[in-house]
Amino acid sequence: MRLAKFYSKDSYMNKEKRISRISLLIVIIVSFIVLLISIRGLKGNPNSTELNNIKWTDNGPFELSPERGRFALLYSIVEDHSLHFSLPLASFASPDVAVANGSFVSLFAPGVSVVSIPGFIIGKLFGISQVGTFATIALFAFMNVLLIRSISIRLGANPLAASIGSLTFLFATPAYAYAVTMYEHHISLFLILMSIYLLLLENPTFRRMVIVWFLLGLSILVDYPNILLIAPIALYTVWKYAAFSVYKNKLRFNFYPVMLCTVYGFFIPVGILLLFNFYSHGNALQLSGSLETVKNLGITTQLGTSVDPRLKDIGTIQTAISSAETKAYLDKQVSGGDQISLNYFNTRNLLNGLYIYFFSPDRGMFYFTPVMFLGILSVIFAYKKKVVFFSVLIGIISINILLYSMWGDPWGGWAFGSRYLIPSYGMLSIFIALLLTYFRKDVILLIIFSLLLSYSVAVNTVGALTSSRNPPQIEVLSLESITKQVQKYTVQRNFDLLLNRDISKSFVFQTYLKNYLSASQFYVGVVLLILFTMTGMTVWLGLMTEDRVKTKI
Amino acid sequence: MKFTISLNQLSRISNFLVKNEVGITAGILSLFSIISFIVFYNNGLGLSYNDARSHLDIARRVVEGLKPGIAQLGSVWLPLNHVLMIPTIWNDFMWHSGLSGAVVSMISYVITGIIIYYFLKEFNVSIVGRLTGVLVYALNTNILYLQSTAMTELLLLATMTAGVYELAKWYKSHDFLRLIRASFWIMLSTLVRYDGWFLLFVVFCLLFIEFMRMDKKNLSTIAGKSLFFVTLGGFGVFAWLLWNLLIFKDPLYFIFGPYSAYAQQELLLSAGNLPTKGNFLLSFQYYFDAMVYNANAFIVILGFIGAVIFLLDKRIKSNSKMILVALFSPLLFNVLALYFGHSVLYIAGISGNTWFNVRYGLMMIPSFAILVGYLVHSLKPIQPILIGLVMLVTFFMLFNGDVVTLDDARIGASQKNVTQVSGWLRENTSNKPGFILVSAASHDAVIFSSGLPMAKFIHEGTGKYWDQATAHPSRWARWIVIRSGDNTDYLDKRINNNPEFINDYQLIGRYPFADIYQLKSKYISGLETQPIYPNQI
Repeated sequence: MRLAKFYSKDSYMNKEKRISRISLLIVIIVSFIVLLISIRGLKGNPNSTELNNIKWTDNGPFELSPERGRFALLYSIVEDHSLHFSLPLASFASPDVAVANGSFVSLFAPGVSVVSIPGFIIGKLFGISQVGTFATIALFAFMNVLLIRSISIRLGANPLAASIGSLTFLFATPAYAYAVTMYEHHISLFLILMSIYLLLLENPTFRRMVIVWFLLGLSILVDYPNILLIAPIALYTVWKYAAFSVYKNKLRFNFYPVMLCTVYGFFIPVGILLLFNFYSHGNALQLSGSLETVKNLGITTQLGTSVDPRLKDIGTIQTAISSAETKAYLDKQVSGGDQISLNYFNTRNLLNGLYIYFFSPDRGMFYFTPVMFLGILSVIFAYKKKVVFFSVLIGIISINILLYSMWGDPWGGWAFGSRYLIPSYGMLSIFIALLLTYFRKDVILLIIFSLLLSYSVAVNTVGALTSSRNPPQIEVLSLESITKQVQKYTVQRNFDLLLNRDISKSFVFQTYLKNYLSASQFYVGVVLLILFTMTGMTVWLGLMTEDRVKTKI
Repeated sequence: MKFTISLNQLSRISNFLVKNEVGITAGILSLFSIISFIVFYNNGLGLSYNDARSHLDIARRVVEGLKPGIAQLGSVWLPLNHVLMIPTIWNDFMWHSGLSGAVVSMISYVITGIIIYYFLKEFNVSIVGRLTGVLVYALNTNILYLQSTAMTELLLLATMTAGVYELAKWYKSHDFLRLIRASFWIMLSTLVRYDGWFLLFVVFCLLFIEFMRMDKKNLSTIAGKSLFFVTLGGFGVFAWLLWNLLIFKDPLYFIFGPYSAYAQQELLLSAGNLPTKGNFLLSFQYYFDAMVYNANAFIVILGFIGAVIFLLDKRIKSNSKMILVALFSPLLFNVLALYFGHSVLYIAGISGNTWFNVRYGLMMIPSFAILVGYLVHSLKPIQPILIGLVMLVTFFMLFNGDVVTLDDARIGASQKNVTQVSGWLRENTSNKPGFILVSAASHDAVIFSSGLPMAKFIHEGTGKYWDQATAHPSRWARWIVIRSGDNTDYLDKRINNNPEFINDYQLIGRYPFADIYQLKSKYISGLETQPIYPNQI
C-alpha cells in the first residue's frame, strides 16, 4: 500500500516535472527563434560617417534618436575611445545630444551602451556590428521571459500557465518591438526581475544580497528614473534585515547591520555612474539628462556641407569653439540647462498620462495590448489570495504608471505603444500566469484570453517587424501640414508599411528571405508560429487534470 | 543589533499621543499653514486673486470709508467671511498684506484638518489611515495656497466638513445634540457660499429619509424633526433674504441685482461663453477636470475607489453610508450649477487656454482625503505601498509647485493686473486733496492695490456721495477711474453721457483695465475735498 502511494506520488512528481520541462523547452525554442528572426538590422560594419546615411537612419535600424544616441556612445567608446562624440557621431545622435565643456556628449545614461559593447564586438567580427548590438537587447528580453516564468512559478503559478504568461509578455505587448532594437527597457526590467528572483530564493545570503543591491544600482546606470522604480524592492530588501518580536513584556527590534553592509553593492555602479559623469561632462553629480541640449543641430546634419561654414570639416566641436564667435553661435543653440531631472515629472500631467497609457489610440493599452487588462483583473484575485511579494509587484506597477504619467512626454516621443510601461507589462504577465492558474478550468476565461492574446500578438508583431516610428496623435496635424499627406498614428501606420510598402526591418528578412517572401507573408508566418504555440499551450492548460496544477498559494 | 522598548513605555507614549492628538495635529497643521503663508506672501502671491482683494475691501469698508457700517457687507458675496475679518481689518498692515483674510482661511485650514482626523476616527480608521487622510488634505498645494489668501474656500470647507462630520456622528448615535451641531455648522456654511445652501438641501433630504425610516408613518414626528433641523440650519438663508430685503428692498436682490452672479452669467451667455449650460456631460467633464487639477488624478482615483469600498464595507451600517451623499454634495452642486448656467468654469485645454474658477474643484478635497484615509485603512496588506504612492505624488506636486489655483489667479480670467493704474493713483493722489470716483464692483482691485485709505474713494456704497458725484462729478470727484465704453463698468453706465464728465475732465492715461480722468485745474476751486455727510445711514 505504502509502496503504491509512494509510486503514485513519484509518478505525479515526474509528470509535473515533465510538464515543466516541456513547457520550458517550448518557451526557450519559440522565444529564441522568434527573437532571432525579428531583430532589426542591416548587414555591415558602418563607420561614423556611414551611420548618418538614410539607409541606416530613417530607413534602417536607427530610425529614432534613442537608438542612435545609445549606439553613438557605444561606437564612440569602442572605436574612438572617447566619451565625447565626434562631429559625425553628434550628427548621428541628434537631437539627443548635449554640450558639455565644449564637447558633444550623450543625453542618455550610459548603461545600455556599455552593456551592448560585447554584442557590438562579436557582431563586428561577423560583419554585422549593429545586429550584434541589437541582439544584446534581444538576449535580455529572452532572459526576461525566463525570469517571468520562474518568478510566476515561485509565486504559485502552474509551470504551463507561467510559460504562457511569460510568452504573453514578450509577444503580446510592445515589449516585443523593443526587444529587437536598442532601448533600455528590457535591461531595466531584467535587473528588476533578477532582483525579485534573488529575493524570492529562500534564506538570503550575504553574497546574494550584495548582488541584489548591485543590480538595483546598475538599473540607475541604465535609466535614471529606475531609481524610483526600484524603490519597492529596495525597501523590501531593507525590511528583510529587520525583525520585530515581543519578549517578556518588551518589544524587541532586531536589526542585522552585517546585512546592511551589503548595500555597498548598490554604490559600485553608482560610483561608476559618477565617474562616467565626471569624464563625460566634467561634473560627477550632474546627470546627462539635465545637460544643455543642442536645440538645432543643423550645423552638423549636412556633413561636409555644414550650414555654418565655421564648423565645416573641423572634426570635433572642441576645436570649433576655440573661436569666441563660434562659441556664441553654439550658445544660441542650447537650451534647458537650468532644469533638473525631477522637474520633468509634473502631477498636472497625470490625467492625460493615464489616458495615454490606457485608452489613447496612439499608445493606449486598450488598443495595443488589451490582454494586459486581464493582468490588472488578476491583481484583485492575487490580493485576495495574499500572494507573496504582492506589495512589491504592485508597487513597481503603480510607480511605473504614475511616474511616467507625470512625465512631460508620456508618448515616449515617436514610438510603438507605451514603451515606458514595459516593466509593468512584465509584472502584469506574472499576474496573468496566476490568473490562468486560478481559472484554468474556466473555458470562457480561456477563450477571452485567447482572443485578446491573438489580437495583441497580431498588433505587436507588426510593430516589431516593421517600425517603432509612430508619431503621437498630437503631432499629426502639424506633421500633415508639413508633409502634405495623411499621417497615421495608430498601428494602422505599421500595417501600411507592411501591406502597402512591403517593408520589414527584420535583419533575417532583409538579408535572407526578401527574395522568397513578401513582408506580409513573413509577418503571417511569425504570427502563426507564436499563436500556434501559445494557443496550443492554453488548450493544454485547460485540458490538464486537477491534481497536476496544485500551487503554493 | 537589538533595540528593546518596554511595552509599558510604549503604551505610555501611545497614551500621550492619543490624549494630545488634537494638539499635535493642530500644531503640525499650524506649522504647515504658517510656512505656506510665508512662502506665498514672500513671493508676492498672497493676493493674486482679484476676488481676494475685493473681500478685504468689503470688510475694510465696514470700518473705514466715507460711509462705514455693517451695510457695506453688500449683497455680492455672502457675509460670514467678511464679518470674521472685521476684528483685524482696521489695521492697515492686516488689510494690505491680506493677513486679515488669510488668518480666517488659516484657522479654517487647521480646523478642517482636525475634522478630517476625527471623521476617520469616527469610522474606526487606524491612526495610519487617519494621518494619511489628513496629509492628503494638508499637503495639497492648492489647499495650501488658498489657505494663504483672503478667499472664502477654506472657511466653506471648514463649515461644510464640520457639518457633515456632526451628521455622521448623528447617524451613529441619533443624538439630537449632534443634529443641532450639524445644523449650526451647515447654517454657517450657508453664510459663506451658495454651496452651503445646496448642502443644507441635501442634508435635509437625507435626514427626511432617515426620519421616515426611524418613525415609519408618524408624519407629525417626521415633520417636527425636519422642521427642527431647518429652523437652525436654514437660519442663515432666512437671515440673508431678510438682509437683502432690509438693505436693498428686495429679498432676492442677491440673485437678480446688477452685481449678482446671475447678471454676470447673463452677460457671458449673451457672448456665448457658457458652454456647459444645458450640457450635463460637458458640465461633468469640466468639474471632473477641475477636481483632478486641484486634487491630482491619483488622489481622485483613490477617492472613488475608497468610496466604493466604503459602500461595500459590511461593518458600516447602511444608514451611516448615506454620509457619502453629503461628502459628494460639492460634486453634485457644481455639476448642476454648471448645467443650469448658474456657474461658470473654464479649464485650459477644453475652453481655450484660460482658467476661470478652477478653484471650485477644491471643494471635493476633504471628501477625497477622508476616502483615501479610509482606503489606506481598508487595504492593510498594501498599506505601505499606498502611502508611499500618495507621498510620491504629493512630493512631486510640492516639488514642482503644481498650484492650478495660482494659475487660475495669475494667468486665468480671474487675474487683473492693475499695477499701472493703482500705481499712478498712489503716486499722484495721496498727497493731494480730493476724492476718487470709482465703481467698487468693477475696480475693487484698483482700490486695494492703490494703498490709499478707503475714505479717499467715492463708490457705490457711499450713499449720498455716490449719488451726488455721479450726478455732478466735477463737484465731488477730482479723479475718475473708469473703463470707458465698457458696459460692465457700472460707473461708465451712469456718467458716460454726463456733460460735466465729458467737458470738465481730461484723460490722464489708458491702462489695461481702467482709464484715469482728472478734473481740469480751472474747476478745482469748486471741488468738495472733505466728507460732509458724517451720519449717513
